[in-house]
Amino acid sequence: MSNQQIISVADLSFINKALRDINVDLSAVQSGLGTLNYKQEQIESELLQLANTFQKFVDEDTKHKALQLAETRIGNLKQELNTKYGYYAEVRRMATGILQAVDTGTVSNDTLKFTTEEVMIKAPGYWLAPALVAISSWIRNDKDFANRAIDESLKRDDYKTTLFFMLVMRRLKRNDASFKWLERYFMHQNPKNLDREFIIVLEAIATGIFHPNSRSLMMSNVKKWLDQLTQSDNFIDEQKTQWNKYFKASKPTSEEMYPLLEQFAENWDKLDISLREVRTHEILYHHFNKIISLSENSKSTIVQLDEILSLLVTKFDDEELPLQEKVRLQELIIEKDGDKKSAQEMVDAERFIFEEEVDFLQLLTNACFNPELAGATTATQALAVSISQPWIVEAHETFTAKIRNETPPSFKINIEGFNAISKNGDNEKELLKKQAIYYDNITKKKIEENGFPIGATIIGGLLCLLGGWLCIDNLIIGVAVLAIGIVLIWVNLNNLSKARNNIRENIQERHTKAKEVLRGCLAEAVDYRGEHATEDKKAEKLDELLNAITPEDFSSISRDTSRNII
Amino acid sequence: MAKILFGKSDFNLNPKKQETTKFVKANTQDFYKKRSKKYMEIIAGLDDESLTKTRGFDDFMEIIQEEFGTAELSSLPQGIVSKCFLGHPYEVHILDLVGNQILKHYKSGQSMEPSFEKARNLAMHHMYDIVEVYTDKIILIKSDGSTIKYT
Repeated sequence: MSNQQIISVADLSFINKALRDINVDLSAVQSGLGTLNYKQEQIESELLQLANTFQKFVDEDTKHKALQLAETRIGNLKQELNTKYGYYAEVRRMATGILQAVDTGTVSNDTLKFTTEEVMIKAPGYWLAPALVAISSWIRNDKDFANRAIDESLKRDDYKTTLFFMLVMRRLKRNDASFKWLERYFMHQNPKNLDREFIIVLEAIATGIFHPNSRSLMMSNVKKWLDQLTQSDNFIDEQKTQWNKYFKASKPTSEEMYPLLEQFAENWDKLDISLREVRTHEILYHHFNKIISLSENSKSTIVQLDEILSLLVTKFDDEELPLQEKVRLQELIIEKDGDKKSAQEMVDAERFIFEEEVDFLQLLTNACFNPELAGATTATQALAVSISQPWIVEAHETFTAKIRNETPPSFKINIEGFNAISKNGDNEKELLKKQAIYYDNITKKKIEENGFPIGATIIGGLLCLLGGWLCIDNLIIGVAVLAIGIVLIWVNLNNLSKARNNIRENIQERHTKAKEVLRGCLAEAVDYRGEHATEDKKAEKLDELLNAITPEDFSSISRDTSRNII
Repeated sequence: MAKILFGKSDFNLNPKKQETTKFVKANTQDFYKKRSKKYMEIIAGLDDESLTKTRGFDDFMEIIQEEFGTAELSSLPQGIVSKCFLGHPYEVHILDLVGNQILKHYKSGQSMEPSFEKARNLAMHHMYDIVEVYTDKIILIKSDGSTIKYT
């Protein structure tokens, strides 16, 4: 009996210890699992942040590399232009050089003859070389030689030669001869298919340097063409499409003013594009305002004629166009801080500038977009804007309507799987309530997942029963078994309570953070709508500015006329 | 200065103002002519009551046909979308010129037929009083009756 008692006590103590150990281990495992879950979520969130930061770094690095590459390429391309067409530069400088030398009478006829004839040999096939020979022959009264040189020049490039002599004759105040050259020029022109150098005529209108007769001829042709091309929608619609592309390409880059929306709004891409596009109205307002404010000109006729002559001889050699187009792309990449996509958008909008032949309305559009590349000055740009004004206004109205229509009507926010939809960020109370329900549900679900320890409790219960039964036979053993049962149940219930508290605390912490994020997103949404509305109003301001432009404001009257009137 | 540059007074650079020029194709340009005050008023004053009363709809259609100069359905808008003044939760309504139900009101979040849905945002914008939806285009009408070609 006593042996039996000793063995029994020893066995129970061992079982008791083993069960306690198991419980402690189970508790540790449960608590560990809870911590692991929490850490995993934390790691996921940190990983997402890291991925975003890394993506930003990659984007910035790509832009930086594109910028560096563009800077290198632009140098190489300019070098190539210089190598391939550099010999033209000497001839070009000579054009105005000869005329200015004749003005001052400082160069002998022999020098002129020698220099221009040398150019003929140095620049084979180039239209300007025989044109210069013609001028030098004409100065020294060598009619036959002059005629032969003019024939050759016309053969090489009829239109440029014609415009060149029209300008030279005007510079020499031989107005009748200038008029005849102009007449000859217009005889061959088709408004649906003009050479790029026609812009020189617009430049002449904008600067008012021509004699009334010539000017009247230019004006009547321009008017006739405008009437002809604006009869149907086709030509105007094409220009409107291009203006639309130009407006889109003028949008600024992202400013990262709404970091929370950027991270949590599922429709951020659309929201971002809409904001950038609506900010374009302000940029365009300054752009057009600058154009129309720069139209003052106080230069003398001779200086302006020399400038136009320079433009004619430097800007319209078609063989240089492909290289010029490449240079432009690199320039834009630099201008847009390495953003190749934005640069390409602008190149696409401007692509007709590099076409050899365009219709008259396109020529106007080219002068509006980029007068320098189109071969004109800002005076012509202002005139072109004023003539194109009706379809610029229409294109801008359509552009504005498109922004308004494509602006997402609501913010689709997703914070840790909680989807919130807000129109203007003004439904904070309602969304916070929904968010609280969302986290309550998560808590409930997680608690359900961390279920009641039925097995351990049954074992505990059975031990209690066994203990109670054993008490009849042996009080000590019975009490010991009963105690083990109770401890087992208590430890399990205690662990369950701890694990559930852990879950509640974790989710509560997540909820608190998410609440702040949601509030931040909604505050940003309010600011976004405010900024959008302010920028949207600027569209009307720009329309007012554009509607006030008239061609009369930007086409200088003939200076001869004004002198006559005075 | 104006006379010196684009001298003749009949010279007109604005394609919108060329309706009287003989070369202009009336059927393309007419869509974009300025809408009359009468048209703007009848659209603004529309409600279920005015449409259902005796001759209400017929009177309305007469004004529409007069505005567009034709009774051909293909030349008229499929429908006209504008802001709904019934108040919350209603957002926009469609005046359906080809369907059975003349005036349909839509609540916020309630989807419209796809051909009209694309006009919803524009109709809700304060700058446009009316959005005319055609089979091949959308025309926006401002409060002064001036038109904007959208697509």
